[in-house]
Amino acid sequence: MEAEAAAATPVSEAVSWVAGSRKIAHFGERVVGLRTKQDTATAGRERRGFVVLIPARNEDATVGEVVRQVRTSLRTEVVVIDDLSEDATVATARDAGAVVLPLAARLGAWGAIQTGIRYALACGYEMAITMDADGQHGAEAIPALHEVVSSGEADVAIGAFLARGSRPRRLAWAFFRYLTGLGVEDLTSGFRAYGRRAMVTLATPDATLLEYQDLGVLLLLRANGMKITEVPVQMRDRVVGHSRVYSSWLTVGYYLLHTGVLCLSKTGRRLASPSSVAQD
Amino acid sequence: MVTSYQWISTGTGALVAAAIFYLVRRDHLHGRYALWWLPIAVVVAVLGAYPRLVDLVGPVLGIHYPPVLPLVVGFALVLIKLLMMDIERSKSERRLQRLIQRVAILEGRLRHTPPVEPEEY
Repeated sequence: MEAEAAAATPVSEAVSWVAGSRKIAHFGERVVGLRTKQDTATAGRERRGFVVLIPARNEDATVGEVVRQVRTSLRTEVVVIDDLSEDATVATARDAGAVVLPLAARLGAWGAIQTGIRYALACGYEMAITMDADGQHGAEAIPALHEVVSSGEADVAIGAFLARGSRPRRLAWAFFRYLTGLGVEDLTSGFRAYGRRAMVTLATPDATLLEYQDLGVLLLLRANGMKITEVPVQMRDRVVGHSRVYSSWLTVGYYLLHTGVLCLSKTGRRLASPSSVAQD
Repeated sequence: MVTSYQWISTGTGALVAAAIFYLVRRDHLHGRYALWWLPIAVVVAVLGAYPRLVDLVGPVLGIHYPPVLPLVVGFALVLIKLLMMDIERSKSERRLQRLIQRVAILEGRLRHTPPVEPEEY
């Protein structure tokens, strides 16, 4: 890692902005590509496989181990998106060999994931697999998710842990499932594999203001015709820390209200592709 | 004979209008915000000088207690303004979020340049 950094050419010489002529019409945002000298030299190389994205905020106790496990078992690039952590998350992740994208302000889990997806697109990856930094998701489940998307069976594979969650949480999910018609059991799982089409959709400005990564993201994907499949996985217990969305009645209340309104504004827009649960 | 209430009313109207004109002139209130506030300045000045105008307009609109007219219109304008501000805010937040993301991606790539031609994102 350090050797690579030393070999990189100085910013002032190497970086030149290339103004992309493509505009994302309804937002008037010009998409710009960043090219370095090294990049131009290796132009034309074929696209790369997949990258693992880990959004993290104050997870220095577990992120190092998670990164190491993924790197050793899968030999793939791991990107940790740091959501303005106050602890040693960034240093720990770097030491473990991850690429760190440090956010200058807190964007939340979805904002962090979108950053990772935009990075993955910029680097030419075909697939992005998101997972949590707290050790709940195991690297051993990644190949299964990867397989579902790379075989073309679905655009998005969700690693579903079907037995988790308290009664109120499961009731909330059932309610949202009914409201939106999304046949997804584990709506809030952050363990997902996104194929290239999904990545492109999720990198757009439309997707930027979604506040939570679960329903809003799935609804947007479905509205764009993506196929979503669930793959049952084993989830380990959270070693340290607690759920942020369900941390207090206030945050749960806000979450339910917010998601409820989102559902109401999107129901009725059911499109072609039904989602299905992968049979083992 | 000009009553003290008329002086106060005209004076207040003129003051508010003058303040808005001054802000626009000095560019503290510029562009489309000026477009919104200048007509308001004019209306406030006119109504301040001739408050009885609402007595003329009110009955035409079916309002039996004319003084309520400026209040109702004023309130409606405030609601519209607030709505416009929230929409603007959403746009700004989106832009800011994407900017923060781009900076993070740049910083990540500064330290670690992957050996592939980057795509648009």
